[in-house]
Amino acid sequence: MLIEIAHFLSILSTGLFFICFIFSFFLNSKDIFIINLVSRIYSHSFFIFLSSFFVYVWLAISDNFSVLYIAQHSNINLPVFYKISSIWSAHEGSMFLWIIFLTSWGAVYNLSTSNDQLLKARTLGVISITSVGFLLFLLLTSNPFETILPVPPENGADINPVLQDPLLAIHPPMLYMGYVGFVIAFGQAIAFLFEGKPEIKWEKQVRSWSLASWSFLTLGIALGSWWAYYELGWGGYWFWDPVENVALMPWLAATAFVHSLSASSKSSILRIWTLLLSILVFSLSLFGAFIVRSGIIDSVHSFANDPERGLYLLAFIGLLVMVSLLLFSFRFNLLLSNKKIASLSKESFISLNNIFFGTLIFSTMLGVLYPLIYEFIYNQKISVGAPFYNAIFVPITLIACIFLYFSIDSKWQQSLNIKSLFQPLPISLTFSATIVILAFFQFSITNLWTLASLLIGSIIIIRYMIVIYFYFVYRKFTNIFSVIAHCGLGLLIISIALNDNLSSERALNIKINETEIYKDHQITLKNLRMVPGPNFDSVKADFLIENPNGKTFTLTPEKRKYFARGQVTTETAIHASFLKDIYLTIGDQLDDGSWIVNIQFNIFIRWIWFSAIMMVVAGLLLAHSLSRSRP
Amino acid sequence: MKAIRKQRLITVLLILATSATGSFLIIRALDSNLDFFFTPSEIFKEEIPNNKRIKVGGMVLEGSVLRDKTNISFVITDYQGSINVEFDGIVPDLFKEGSGVVVLGYLRDKTLVAEDVLAKHDENYMPPSIDIKN
Repeated sequence: MLIEIAHFLSILSTGLFFICFIFSFFLNSKDIFIINLVSRIYSHSFFIFLSSFFVYVWLAISDNFSVLYIAQHSNINLPVFYKISSIWSAHEGSMFLWIIFLTSWGAVYNLSTSNDQLLKARTLGVISITSVGFLLFLLLTSNPFETILPVPPENGADINPVLQDPLLAIHPPMLYMGYVGFVIAFGQAIAFLFEGKPEIKWEKQVRSWSLASWSFLTLGIALGSWWAYYELGWGGYWFWDPVENVALMPWLAATAFVHSLSASSKSSILRIWTLLLSILVFSLSLFGAFIVRSGIIDSVHSFANDPERGLYLLAFIGLLVMVSLLLFSFRFNLLLSNKKIASLSKESFISLNNIFFGTLIFSTMLGVLYPLIYEFIYNQKISVGAPFYNAIFVPITLIACIFLYFSIDSKWQQSLNIKSLFQPLPISLTFSATIVILAFFQFSITNLWTLASLLIGSIIIIRYMIVIYFYFVYRKFTNIFSVIAHCGLGLLIISIALNDNLSSERALNIKINETEIYKDHQITLKNLRMVPGPNFDSVKADFLIENPNGKTFTLTPEKRKYFARGQVTTETAIHASFLKDIYLTIGDQLDDGSWIVNIQFNIFIRWIWFSAIMMVVAGLLLAHSLSRSRP
Repeated sequence: MKAIRKQRLITVLLILATSATGSFLIIRALDSNLDFFFTPSEIFKEEIPNNKRIKVGGMVLEGSVLRDKTNISFVITDYQGSINVEFDGIVPDLFKEGSGVVVLGYLRDKTLVAEDVLAKHDENYMPPSIDIKN
């Protein structure tokens, strides 16, 4: 009975969202009565949909295996936490969650925006119709409410073991929050175009929303990277897998978008860029959903293949993008600004930045789609791996960072004196050159790209240190959020360069109580234990590691065999210190009783995620301060 | 009026030229960094240079897995052709004799020296469809 109620509530809310869309676009949206009505219908519809989700969560917690999806992805023996997170462990449920977030952003927007706001009703209308599109997709092609009747199974098939991890329970929600949060900016942009009044400053209104979604997206990607690092046992943080790339593209577009927003919320310059980017960000977010859920690309993450779903999504996204671009071209003249961008002004640097980001998005898109095109034309399977992306991303990022360096002192709508541009250069160059020379002689790094990355990464950080110095000593105005985020970027570049250059790994062959030496570290296999877990058996191997300073510590990597699916997984053991991670995984046991062990020294890897967190913090703080200063 | 037109023309040409060069460089980078995918029976029909990284996919031949300390060698087959693979490192948890595998590596004297071994079905978050009605 509960299942039918949840199902019915979802259908009901779809209808209500549709009514909301119709009212907002086909009635006089300036009439306060209509705006109030639309706002109310939206709230009700959202609460109906939310309660449908809560009933579903209850069904999962109470092990209701007459729901097909829950029977396929949950299990009686799972802790409650994973029973809940099993909901978003596969296609149907994660789509459910996706729409919950989509409509939640709308609900928060609805509550926090006053009804006399001109664009409000239409923005809610755009959010509603997008929700209807996805709700129909959910209910028609991937129904999570499908039942097994009359006899439900006694136990469920269990969640995939590699997903039984606290981090994976929060990585998808964060990512989805980021993806769909841009619906506010998109909705406002469409409402603005529809209204056709250039004096409405929609850019100002969406800044904090967009920054908040950008922060969630950044956090979601960073969490996924961190999870892949310790759970999959490969030791890397980024694999240029198609599904990672389709998360990266909206991130790149969103980064360009929030930069562009800061320009166009101050003057009418760059409005066209900002509008196009708002459409691009949201369509790339949806495109990601299409790639992951249609199964057209082989990937570590893809859900099961279903051409029908792919077709629906493609048609829906195509329609949305087409309508937006048509509207955009009709209103193009409205957006034209007669102001010229002053050379060396902040706006000019932001336009350049847009071009760099555009190139990166284009290249990533090419890398994702090229195998499909190639196979279609030449009937030969290919894949595009890390070397291509490195060849594009490294030089472009470094060049963009050089421009970032010179943009730090630039001003809005004013050309900058070229002389003042080069003033702090001697100091920052001296410091960062010292770092590079140190790296060259002390750590014998000879790779030119690594040295260039070190130079440029550290020059940015040092330049911002000078900015902070001026702030404290001369009280010079400083955008502290920009300082934190860009120092994060500098740190990210340094960490990636060092990690790439200095990390090393080796497979060892070791018996109990034997000692092997790798890079002056003594590794001893002390003991093997069989330890039963709640829904798996595990073998734990205790290793004693002695570093060159004579300090010792224990690392316990593990192999698990899960009951429900008989699947074997590897749990890594990591000893983290300031500069490096010692990363241990165990492989198979050989016939002579010895074990294969993989040891990795991952240099500076933690700082990669730390720099992402710096960006997240900066984004959230700025979003918060903007939302408070809003009239 | 004419001067403005001329200026516009130059701007447009400049934009076109830069984007063309940019696209050319990107596509060149793409073409020189592709990993081609072969099955074991296709692999010796083509001339593949030693320095070209390739992907080979097939089944691990039953009884072909040999281990020596951390080295592992095995044969991939598609039941029409086969190729010997050598790898130093840990193979994935799903690696088994008689199951699917994809190897990324370089060809040396009719042997594939592996950089990476990926077990097939790693790509699938979903379980092999379990008949839960039983």
